[in-house]
Amino acid sequence: MMLNRLQRLAVISRLTDSLRENGSWGGETHVQKGAYFLQEMMDVPTGYDFILYKHGPFSFDLRDELTEMRADGLIELVPQQYPYGPKLSLTDHGKNLQNKFDKTLKKHGPAIESVAVTLGGKDVSELERLSTALFVSKELGSDASPEERAERLRELKPHVSDAMSLSAVKVVDELLVETAG
Amino acid sequence: MSPLVYSEATHKRFEHSLGVMELAGRVFDVVTNPANVTDEIRDLIKDISHTGNLSYWRRVVRMAALCHDIGHLPFSHAAEKELLPAGNSHEDISRALILSDEMKDIWNSMTGPLRPEDVAKLALGPKEEKELGFSTWEAILSEIIVGDAFGVDRIDYLLRDAHHCGVPYGKFDHYRLIDTLRILPASPAGDEIEGGEPTLGVEHGGIHTAEALLLARYFMYSQVYFHPVRRIYDTHLKDFLVEWLPGGRFSTDIEKHLSLTDNEVWSAILNVARTADAVEHVHAKRIVERDHFKRLYSRDPSDVSVTLNPGQRIFEAAKQEFGEESVRYDSYSQKSDPKEFPVRMGDWRIASSTSISETLQRLPVAKFEYVYVDAKVENRAKTWLKKNRQAILEQDSEDEG
Repeated sequence: MMLNRLQRLAVISRLTDSLRENGSWGGETHVQKGAYFLQEMMDVPTGYDFILYKHGPFSFDLRDELTEMRADGLIELVPQQYPYGPKLSLTDHGKNLQNKFDKTLKKHGPAIESVAVTLGGKDVSELERLSTALFVSKELGSDASPEERAERLRELKPHVSDAMSLSAVKVVDELLVETAG
Repeated sequence: MSPLVYSEATHKRFEHSLGVMELAGRVFDVVTNPANVTDEIRDLIKDISHTGNLSYWRRVVRMAALCHDIGHLPFSHAAEKELLPAGNSHEDISRALILSDEMKDIWNSMTGPLRPEDVAKLALGPKEEKELGFSTWEAILSEIIVGDAFGVDRIDYLLRDAHHCGVPYGKFDHYRLIDTLRILPASPAGDEIEGGEPTLGVEHGGIHTAEALLLARYFMYSQVYFHPVRRIYDTHLKDFLVEWLPGGRFSTDIEKHLSLTDNEVWSAILNVARTADAVEHVHAKRIVERDHFKRLYSRDPSDVSVTLNPGQRIFEAAKQEFGEESVRYDSYSQKSDPKEFPVRMGDWRIASSTSISETLQRLPVAKFEYVYVDAKVENRAKTWLKKNRQAILEQDSEDEG
């Protein structure tokens, strides 16, 4: 069953926290890609509509929700020293929300943790390659060979090299096997 | 409904569309000027170096800008969500119009012809055209029109609305801003020295005008667009339209859409206000006689630490107390936060805007919530809320039950 708005906010709060705990820079792009893996690979029913956009799969719904979470004081944007972009950080209010959604987080916590461990150490370029590789794998289906999917990835993201494209597809294949297992 | 609060705000969407077209052409010229494009960007966006392509895309950008609001309903956003059949939006109507046979003839007759699909794609942008993939080039061109940070749609409406409403805080130096716009790699995050995919940003010299734009946006939202009296008139209009429109919904049929403008609706409001036995009389009369509901509650940030939906809770409780007909609720939360964009510094490093601007770091995210009551119960409602406010907010229902 699809998560309701407050359950979804609790899941995204936990994801933001877990990514940071696992070494992520924790900017909006990192949360976007984490949420994409959470929904599309781990089947957590957040219900975001992802399209292929800048840095790979992107959800305008999630962008709006992150902005509203800031308006509600659940997360805050923490500016970084020159020249870096900001990080997202959970507030005490955001932590309190998590406490109220213990059941939801107990159910989806392992998936969130798995995504955070897998993606936490990746920078934006790596996240772009991996999330686009997952996107093309879902688009072309399991019949498409790694080479075909890598070619499609290159079509969509011409700045990614052939070797990196193929490598990203193979990493995603391994992750899909692990998840299925 | 803005003229009911700001009497000079009678400007039309057509003037705005012309303004957006003009500004889109100016931005296009600046960001594609070879002197303003780095080799890095030229490598990433091949189309930017093809002179023939540029001439085509400049015309597409201007036409897309001209048509970006073509599917708007009467009174624009005032009553859109609830009054279109489920699953429809004004963007669907815009798309249908741009791709219509009548307009295809216009696109084909231009020297040289424009592909209607290109016009629709750039006019609506990736958020609305989810099924279509956007190349980096197309994404940038669409960003020129409907982008969050520097989209000319927003630049024009802020300046135009501020001018017509007679409020100074919506103004900023858009000439300077446009001169400093550039296509830049996105701001670096973490240990990445190189930036990411290209997007619109500014030269370092434009950072203060960019700050002024974003401050103008914040002030216009808080002072004009979400003025509580202006907003309640939108609600009264919506109440009227639900009763007046056949089936309580706008038609998505193109001919019917084109035949219904603000003028037809205003005429109906005036007629119905004089017809005491009409079903929609009470709503029309409120608008014409300026007998609007009064504000009972505005969102208070301290209430949000108690519950995420303070206005909704007070609305539900007030409905129980005073009856559904006497209470209205309205809310809006800012959809995106455009304060993060790349800035090219004097030494050509790309920096995040928030890393160099304390003003942008402190700019709040706007969110509004209002509960209104009929003037007849206003005093009673205020006394009731004063007594019960804390208990209503602290109801323990915001969990998994």
